[in-house]
Amino acid sequence: MSKIVVDGLRKTYGDTVALENLSFEVEAGEFVIILGVSGSGKSTLLRCMCGLNEPTEGEIRINGKPMTAPRPEVAMIFQQHNIIGDMSAYSNALTGGINRTGFFSSIFQLQSKEEKRRALDALDTVGLLDEAEQKTRRMSGGQQQRVGIARALVQDSDVLLADEPVASLDPGSAQDVMRYLQRASNERNLSTFISLHQVNIARKFGERFIGLHNGKKVFDGYRDELTVEAIDKIYGDIDTDGMFANQESDGESSTDPQKEVTV
Amino acid sequence: MEESEPDNLADESRQETKTDRQVDETTEEGTVSETESTHTTTDGGVASQQPAENTTDEIEKQFENIKETRRQRAVGWAALIGVLGFLTYQGLSATEFFDDDTDFTWGHFSTRMTEYFPTTRVADLSVVSSLDGYYLWAVDFREYWAFIRDLNLIYDPEVGSLIFQFPINLTDLYTFVFVELGIFSVFGEAGTTLAMGLVGTVLGFPLALLFSILATERVLPFPFNFIFRAIMSFIRAIPAIIWALIFVALVGLGATAATLAIGFNTIGNLGRLFVEDLEELEDGPIEAMETTGANKSQIVFFGMLSQVRTSFIAWTLYIFEINVRAAVTVGVIGAGGLGAIVAAQQAQLNYEQMMATLFVIFVLILLVELFSQRLRARLRSDAEKRSWRELIFGFPARMADSLRQ
Repeated sequence: MSKIVVDGLRKTYGDTVALENLSFEVEAGEFVIILGVSGSGKSTLLRCMCGLNEPTEGEIRINGKPMTAPRPEVAMIFQQHNIIGDMSAYSNALTGGINRTGFFSSIFQLQSKEEKRRALDALDTVGLLDEAEQKTRRMSGGQQQRVGIARALVQDSDVLLADEPVASLDPGSAQDVMRYLQRASNERNLSTFISLHQVNIARKFGERFIGLHNGKKVFDGYRDELTVEAIDKIYGDIDTDGMFANQESDGESSTDPQKEVTV
Repeated sequence: MEESEPDNLADESRQETKTDRQVDETTEEGTVSETESTHTTTDGGVASQQPAENTTDEIEKQFENIKETRRQRAVGWAALIGVLGFLTYQGLSATEFFDDDTDFTWGHFSTRMTEYFPTTRVADLSVVSSLDGYYLWAVDFREYWAFIRDLNLIYDPEVGSLIFQFPINLTDLYTFVFVELGIFSVFGEAGTTLAMGLVGTVLGFPLALLFSILATERVLPFPFNFIFRAIMSFIRAIPAIIWALIFVALVGLGATAATLAIGFNTIGNLGRLFVEDLEELEDGPIEAMETTGANKSQIVFFGMLSQVRTSFIAWTLYIFEINVRAAVTVGVIGAGGLGAIVAAQQAQLNYEQMMATLFVIFVLILLVELFSQRLRARLRSDAEKRSWRELIFGFPARMADSLRQ
């Protein structure tokens, strides 16, 4: 089974320490949310987990094998979607299965029928089946991110990683994307890691939480353990009062000019 | 240790700002005490004037500052213009402008110019008695037209007769398209020039694409990618007309040599434009392809080329435009098309004919530019535009829609 083991992970960029002595284990199919402020090491952790960055020390083992380079069994969803704007949602979804396709079949879309059905199935999971032939450049941010999720699903991985998937989305689309992520993860029994900085969304969708602060693990537990004190530990001296408000009032407060003046 | 360092730094900076603030406060206090002292010596009016005088001082200081920078800038510009002027003067000497045998023979020039324009009487002005013996003259475009037809500049009747007949003969149409291959040659010399530009672009494109990809550091590590950059620089450094002179040895003087030269030149020119785009790629889509487990060529295609597809097509159209112009200049050495005609007529001192050819060149280049610019504008704009197919086949549906409203 796809057990994920992070063992004594340390990652430095020059003199900057991004991650320090990070260890945890996650069972297959768990839905984990990684919390922390910008620069706390969330992205670095996910990039190491999918093999884009190599750990300075320690290692990450997925299915027992250490991650040193990207592997098809780990799929990644990016904050900036990183899908191909000139191509349709369907063509983008197909690129998820690129590792099972030869060069010429992939550029001329000569994949097997099964592969094509898989792409449509993934688009259905993220609710974009009707928009399959639309160019992604003309889609909204939320839809583009869902195409990104579809591509990751077509990859048919064991592990799904999402680096700030909703950071650049409005509150409504953010919840949508999170719902689709949760659904995809449940339907396909994927071990899922999502990094977020919005506590309210995290609490709504997360089961297990890992909190990072300055590259160190400061919290690892389940929803009922995620107390105000725990969140204070993750977010340090940043005022977290507003983060417990629900989405609707959050939206209102950001449009309130009075509040912006006082900030 | 490493952990606590940033905190220390932050503390230090905080302390610094504190001291700054203290300094500010002390100066403010100083001003206040000064004001107070003024207040004690003179009446209240002076105290209220004090800040105002400070502002005038500030304005005066800023005014002087601005004046100084403006002055420096003016001196800089003057020096630059002086240097440029001196260099130009040297250049004029090098280009023999000051040589004794360089005469500006305006008289000769204007006589020659009139030879470019055949004139004809269009009206007898003697109907007005005071203008007896005067005629209205105009450029006789009929002569240009006659020549354009004589030399098949824009239309080759031999090829054209295959398609322009009524009723349409299907055998001839087949011969025209598949035996005579007359799509370009029906347009005579202009067609040859256009074909040179098109084929040159098509031949050069794949190598330009390959070389530009291999010239990026992402694909080939540092010293090796520069080999391809060097090749493209070398090709670019030598103009197409010189390459044509070189290719004459391979295929003889003619349109083939010119086309090969244009194709070769395209590798350098188009490749360089491609490299510039490929250097500004975003990492995101490339990383996304890496995580899906794509192989290297798939990463290049989906991660890299997908980002620059539109701009590559636009650049290629732009180079096509340039290549048609190059086809004219390369033709001048006798390598076919309109350029060769211009050179031949000039050599035979047939200035009217030369001018007629220039008109054809002008119209051809204009049309090519129009086509290429329209297409590029269309590629770059995001808005969904009506395609030709939709325009024609969607017509009944649109009519029906308009009737319903």
